Amino acid sequence: MQKKAWTRDRSESILLGGGTILVFLLLWQLIVMLSGADFATPAEVFIYIFQHIVEPIGPYSIIGHVGWSLSRVAVGYLLAAVSGIVIGLAMAQWDVTNAIISPIFNILRPIPPIGWAPLAILWFGVDEAAKYFIIFIGAFVPFTMNTYVGANRVDPKLVDAALMLGTNPGQLFRKITFPAIVPQIFAGAQVALTNAWMTVLGAEMLRSTEGAGWVILKGMEMANIAQIISGMLVIGLTGFAIATIMRELEKKLIRWNARGR
Amino acid sequence: MNCTKSLNKVIRLKLISAGSILGFFLIWWLITDLLRETPNPLFPSPILVFQSFWEKLFNPRPDGQVLGVHILNSLMVVGLGYLTGIAVGIPFGILMGWFKKFDKMIKPLFDIVRTIPPIAWIPIFILWLGIGLVAKSAIVFLTVFIASVLNSYTGITNVNQVHIWVAQTFGASNWKTLWKVGIPTAAPMICTGLKIAFNTAWTSLVGAELLGATRGLGYMIQMARMYSRTDLVIVGMLTIGVIGLILSAGLDILEQALTRGKY
Repeated sequence: MQKKAWTRDRSESILLGGGTILVFLLLWQLIVMLSGADFATPAEVFIYIFQHIVEPIGPYSIIGHVGWSLSRVAVGYLLAAVSGIVIGLAMAQWDVTNAIISPIFNILRPIPPIGWAPLAILWFGVDEAAKYFIIFIGAFVPFTMNTYVGANRVDPKLVDAALMLGTNPGQLFRKITFPAIVPQIFAGAQVALTNAWMTVLGAEMLRSTEGAGWVILKGMEMANIAQIISGMLVIGLTGFAIATIMRELEKKLIRWNARGR
Repeated sequence: MNCTKSLNKVIRLKLISAGSILGFFLIWWLITDLLRETPNPLFPSPILVFQSFWEKLFNPRPDGQVLGVHILNSLMVVGLGYLTGIAVGIPFGILMGWFKKFDKMIKPLFDIVRTIPPIAWIPIFILWLGIGLVAKSAIVFLTVFIASVLNSYTGITNVNQVHIWVAQTFGASNWKTLWKVGIPTAAPMICTGLKIAFNTAWTSLVGAELLGATRGLGYMIQMARMYSRTDLVIVGMLTIGVIGLILSAGLDILEQALTRGKY
């Protein structure tokens, strides 16, 4: 009985949600066709995407551009992960480190990562290093903050109990601190990934010769609406895909945590 | 005894913090100015940055406006986009959370639109609306709209079902239940959303101004980069940071005032 109700609810969701999307696409198609506005129809966008999976836009196909963007994200992100986690742990472990780092951190933190782009371009030019640097900045802050907060939130009762029962520092880290911090770091890793993906687009739009951000900016310069919207959809899809992969990874790696969003 | 000891420790840590900031500027100054024969324009000293800041207050070169005009312009764009964004986004999110049919209709489309980062909307808005106030505000609007829909939606869907049953038992209409139970429960979440929305708005604003603008702080640093004025880039960045910080602190105070006693 309950199962039946559930499936009915579900099919209603699909019907209503799918219906809205269909109506939206249909209206879009009709309005553009009837008004004769200089705008791409959804059909054109669809065709454009499929065409350019193999056909190049500028130097590369869509897949090539996304690949470039992702490779930039990967480098900046990994650098940020390593340094953010190390610095976050150091800040939580020693009050003195925290007292030294946090004021400087607090001055720099409110500047949006994309605001670093002009400086990065001045310093590193058109090199890949400029993009890595901006992405690094975008991902570094959430990694550091979350590691720090997570390490500070370890339940002192648990630590005291473990110490009383005679654990050595190594065991304490393995059994108590580490399992408590990792979920928090993963939360930061998600935020950092979203930030990094957004930042790479900004960086590519400001100055580059390839990448997903370049695709939409070139589309703007050539007033090619189909290219812009295709680019936006591919960007959205890629962002969604990497966030999903990250979440699945989190579920697999840290089964002890019931956060499971 | 223990108390004074911990107080001493707090004071000591505060001193270290102060020393850290001082040391930061000192090292910056040492490596950019003092230890160099000729200063490198790519790495301006803190003193030069401060001088540039002072000069930029009165001197419109090289981008045609003094700092105050840029600040005012950015504030106008962000204010317009933010206020319209929450004015539309919060009611929209509340309705989406409360009326299940509406939720089922809109959520999938909304989820598709949501995956596209705000920055990726910039080209299409510039193409549609040019590089004026409206285009930039539209980008900020979109960012804020999405963030405030998400938070008010979550706030409403988290309402305790028992509370709704109680209201219904006492004969409240659906709208009255929403007004008396739903919205007050969601209020803290909505207020958190206001702040998240502001932070994303500030980022989108800078992105939009970097890519298409004729004034504003993002435009200022972009121009400073083109003229290789690293000192002005840093002035602009710090201004963006400080103003963002002030505004988000203001929202904190507002949040505390609005949701007092409701937790």
